[in-house]
Amino acid sequence: MAYSLYLHIPFCTVRCAYCDFNTYAGLEALIQPYTDALCQEISLVAKSVGGTLPVHTIFLGGGTPSLLSPEQHGQILTCLAQHFQITQQCEITFEANPGTVSLAQLQALKVLGYNRISFGVQSAQPHELKLLDRLHSFEQVLSAVEWARKAGFANLNLDLIYGLPHQALETWENTLFQVLPLGAEHLSLYALSLEYGTPMRAWVEQGKLPSPDPDLAALMYETASARMSDAGYAQYEISNWAKADPALGDGETPALACLHNLQYWRNEAWLGLGAGAHGSAGGYRYSVTRSPKGYIERVMQGTPQPFPFSPAVVESEALDVATAMADTMLLGLRLTREGVSKARFAERFSVEYTQVFSQELRELTNLGLIEQLPERARLVPPAYLLANEAFRRFV
Amino acid sequence: MKSRNLRNFCIIAHIDHGKSTLADRLLQLTSTVSEREMQAQMLDSMDLEREKGVTIKASAVHMTYRAKDGQEYELNLIDTPGHVDFGYEVSRALQACEGALLVVDASQGVQAQTLANLYLAVDAGLEIIPVINKIDLPAARPVEVTQEIVDLMGVDAEQVITISAKSGINVEAVLEAVVKYIPAPTQDVEKPLRALVFDSHYDSYKGVIAYVRVVDGILNDADEVFALATETRFRPVEIGNFQPQMVAGKRLQAGDVGYVATGLKTVRECRVGDTLTLFSAKAETPLPGYQPAKPMVFAGIYPVENEDYPTLKESLEKLQLNDASLVYEPETSQALNFGFRCGFLGLFHMEIIQERLEREYDLDIIATAPSVEYEVEKTNGETIWIDTPADLPDESTINEIREPWMRIQIFTPQEFYGTVMDLVTKKRGQFVSQEYPAPGRVLLNYDLPLAELIIDFYDQLKSRTKGYASLDYHFHSYRTEKLVRLNVLINNAPLDALTMIVHKDHAFHKGQALVSKLKELIPRQMFEVPIQAAAGGRIISRANVSAIRKDVLSKCYGGDISRKKKLLEKQKKGKKRMKMVGRVEIPQSAFMAVLKLGDEQ
Ligand SMILES: Nc1nc2c(ncn2[C@@H]2O[C@H](COP(=O)(O)OP(=O)(O)OP(=O)(O)O)[C@@H](O)[C@H]2O)c(=O)[nH]1
Ligand code: SF4
Ligand SMILES: [Mg+2]
Repeated sequence: MAYSLYLHIPFCTVRCAYCDFNTYAGLEALIQPYTDALCQEISLVAKSVGGTLPVHTIFLGGGTPSLLSPEQHGQILTCLAQHFQITQQCEITFEANPGTVSLAQLQALKVLGYNRISFGVQSAQPHELKLLDRLHSFEQVLSAVEWARKAGFANLNLDLIYGLPHQALETWENTLFQVLPLGAEHLSLYALSLEYGTPMRAWVEQGKLPSPDPDLAALMYETASARMSDAGYAQYEISNWAKADPALGDGETPALACLHNLQYWRNEAWLGLGAGAHGSAGGYRYSVTRSPKGYIERVMQGTPQPFPFSPAVVESEALDVATAMADTMLLGLRLTREGVSKARFAERFSVEYTQVFSQELRELTNLGLIEQLPERARLVPPAYLLANEAFRRFV
Repeated sequence: MKSRNLRNFCIIAHIDHGKSTLADRLLQLTSTVSEREMQAQMLDSMDLEREKGVTIKASAVHMTYRAKDGQEYELNLIDTPGHVDFGYEVSRALQACEGALLVVDASQGVQAQTLANLYLAVDAGLEIIPVINKIDLPAARPVEVTQEIVDLMGVDAEQVITISAKSGINVEAVLEAVVKYIPAPTQDVEKPLRALVFDSHYDSYKGVIAYVRVVDGILNDADEVFALATETRFRPVEIGNFQPQMVAGKRLQAGDVGYVATGLKTVRECRVGDTLTLFSAKAETPLPGYQPAKPMVFAGIYPVENEDYPTLKESLEKLQLNDASLVYEPETSQALNFGFRCGFLGLFHMEIIQERLEREYDLDIIATAPSVEYEVEKTNGETIWIDTPADLPDESTINEIREPWMRIQIFTPQEFYGTVMDLVTKKRGQFVSQEYPAPGRVLLNYDLPLAELIIDFYDQLKSRTKGYASLDYHFHSYRTEKLVRLNVLINNAPLDALTMIVHKDHAFHKGQALVSKLKELIPRQMFEVPIQAAAGGRIISRANVSAIRKDVLSKCYGGDISRKKKLLEKQKKGKKRMKMVGRVEIPQSAFMAVLKLGDEQ
C-alpha cells in the first residue's frame, strides 16, 4: 500500500486574521536551517523503515510553501527522491499564496517535479480580502493562475471561504462568478470557522464584527453547490469539488480529486514531516513539535527512532482497531460519493462495517442522514450540512 | 465532682462575613491544627464547600486554650452556615451552646441574617459576643458598624471586638472574651445520661455519626446506648470529639460536645433531634428536640438515561444519610419517565443536592422547575397537597387553592426603598411594617408568596439595590389565591415537567415569557420544534425553534483529525446531558427556564 507524505512549511509573510495554522511571520531567517532540518528528518524517518516506502502523493502545506526558493524546494524534492520510492503517477502539490509567486518561480518548480498547485484565493472581493488580512489582490490571483498554466501546471486547486462577517449572498455569488471561469481543476469551499486564539474570533467576541450567520452560510453552500455543478464540477467531499472528466474515467470519485486528501479520508497511512505536522502510520497517530526552532534543534541533534517516529515527534497515540474502524467511518462519510467503501473496510479489518456499526448505521438511516448501498454507505445530499450528527456516532 | 473549665460556643453571621475564617484562626491559636495542616476555611471540608467558598454544613471542633488568667480551658466551637436555606442548621447548633460569636463584616455592617441569627441566639438564651471582622479591608467602617451593633444589642461600644480574621489581628481577644463572658455549661454528671443529637453525618466505616451535646450524665465508650425517640438500641463503634478530624476518647460527660459513632446504617434509626441515653439506665424524659426541617421547594430529579434510575435511587439514599433535610419519594413523569420528587430547604439547597449527585455519584440528572406545595380543597370536600404542578386536578373539581406565603425581611439602604417596594409589589407581595435598626438603613417586612420568592426574586433584589440589600424569610401562612395551571407543549406534546401553577392575572404574561425563554434555551434540532403555552384550555403563546441548517465540520484533514474528534466528543457530551423527550433533546437549562423569566410585567 502506497504512502502519502505531508510536509509542513511554517512560514508566512503576515498572519491572516482567521488562521490558526502552525505558522509564523518574521522567521524568514530560519527558512534555510529549516529546509536542512526537514531533509534530515526525511532521511531519519526513511532509514527507520528498513526498506524503501512507495509514495504516491506528496503535499507541501503551510504556512506558505511558495516562500521557499526553488533551490530549497529542489533540496527537499531531491532528498525525498533519494529516500522514498516515488511512484510514476505521484501527485506532488504545493500550497501557494497568489501574492508570493512569479512566472519564473513556477516554471522552476514545475521542472523540479511538482504537478499540482493549491492557491489560497479565498475571495474575489477586495474588502473581504482585506478583512481576512490576505496580502494579495484578486488581480494577483488572475496572474498567478495564468503563470501556472504557462509553466505547464495542468492541475490547480483554488481555496475559497464563505460565511464571512458582513458577507452577503450576492457577494459570494459574485466571487464564484469570477472564479469559476478560471477553469481550475479543483475547488475547495470552506465555511469560515472562528478558531480559538485568532484575531477574527476576538473581534467577533468583542462585538467589533458581527458573528457569521450559520443559516446564511448554509444558503451560500447550497447556492455554491448548484453553481459548481452547472459549471461542470463534481462534488466528492463535503467541501471539495473536482472537474468531472469522463475521459479520465471518473469512478465514484472524480479522477481530478486531490489524491493526497483522499488518503486522509480513506484513513490510509501518511507520514507527517516538519514542525506541527501530524502523521498516521504504523498503528500510531503522532504529531511533530510545533516550534520551528525547537524542531530544527530536535531533528539536528536527534537519532533515528522506531518507525514512524522522528526525533521531533512530541505526541503519539497508539490506534487500536476499534478507533481505526470508527475513524474510517467518520472520515469516509465525508466522501460524498464514495462514502465508506464496504470492500475496503472488510479487506482492512476482516469484518463488515454493517456488523460493527449496525446500530449507528440503522439510526442514521432512520434519521434520513445516510444511505446504505450494496457497496458503500454515504451521506445523502440534504445531510451534507448536518454531517456532524453522523460523525458524532463515531467518536 | 469539680466542674471543668469548659466553654461551648458557635459562630453565627450573615453569609460570607468570615465565620469559617475566624474558626481557622481559633484553630491555629489553640494549636488544634498545625501550621502544616492549616488551609483556608479548614472546617469547610466538603469539596463543594471549598469550591463555592460557602459553608453548607455546620461543623464542631474541640480545642484547648491556655488563657491569660493562666488556666487551661476546653472549648467546643461550632461553625455554622450563613445561607438562609440553612438557618435550620444554625438553630440546632445554638441548642448545643451557651454562647455565640456574632460576626459582622466591617464594610457591609449588619445584614438580614445578622439580625435573624441574633434573634435566634437571644431566644435560645445564649451569651452573645459581638465581633466586627475584616477591619483590614480598605472599605471597613468599624466605627459606624460598632454603632450599629450598639444600637441593635444595647451593649457598650467597648464590648465589641474588632478583628481581622484573615490577617489574625486581635483574634486572641475573641478567645479571651469567650473564656470570660460565656458561662460554663452545667455539668451534672450524677443524672441519667441525656445527650442531644444536634447534627449527623454518615461515615462508610462507622455508620451514622451523631454530633451530640451531653446535657446530663456520663457516656463511656463501652456503654450500650438507647435513642429515646426511635427506640433504637446500639453499642457505639466509638465516641470522641472532633479536632477537627474524629479523635476517639473514653468518655463524654455533661457539658461536652462530641460525637457518637453509632454503627447504624440509616439516619432513621438515629435522628437529629433525638435524645441518647443509656440502655441500662434510661432517662425518663427526652430533651426538647427540633421540629424536622420542613422542605419549602420541590422539584423532580430524573436520570438523563433511564437506566440510571437505580443508581439515582441509591445515591439519594446515601445523600440523605448526610443531609437529613433532604426528602424524596418516587414519581413518574410522562415525559421524563421514572424519577424522584425531592423536597429542599430552598433553591440553594436544591442546587447543592443537584451538584452533589452529579459529582459525588457521577450521575447525569435533570432537575425540573422548582415548585412550592399547594393546598387544594376540592369540591367534594377533600383537601389534597400538591407539590407537582402537573398533578393539579381539573379546575372544575377545585373549590379553592391555597399557596404558602412567607414573611420576609429586607434590610437595605434607604435610597432603595422605592425600587424594593416596586419589586415586591410586582411579585404580589404586601407591605407589613418597617423599622430603622441602623442609621440610613431600613428593615422592611413584607408578606410574599413563596412561589414568587423562589423565582428570581433574590437576584432581582440584588441587582436593584446594587448588591446592598439582604434578605431573610420564614414561612408565614397559607392563603387562598386565584391560581391556574399553565401547561407547556413541546413539539405538540405536553411536557408535564414544565407545568407551572401561576396567578390567574399573570398567566398570559408568564406563558409568553416562558415560551420565548424556552425558544432561546432549546437548541435547534434536525426538525422544527413548536413550543406552546396553554392555560384554561387555550393556547396563549407559541413560538417555533427552527430546524438547524448547518452542523458540519467544514474542514477535516490529516492534521485536524484528533482535534476535530475532540470537538465532536465535546458536542456529544453536551448532547448526552440533554434529556430526550419524544424526539426533542431538551437541556437542563430549559427545565429551569421559569427561574429566568427576567424583570416581568
Ligand atoms: N479582607 C478580609 N477578608 C476576610 C476576612 N475574613 C474572611 N474574609 C474573606 O471573606 C470571605 C468569606 O469568608 P468565610 O470565612 O468563608 O465566611 P463565612 O461567614 O464562613 O461564609 P459562609 O459560611 O458561606 O456563610 C472569604 O473570601 C475570606 O477570605 C478578613 O478579616 N479580612
Ligand atoms: S497564508 Fe495561509 S497559513 Fe499563512 S497565515 Fe494566511 S491562512 Fe494562515
Ligand atoms: Mg463558613
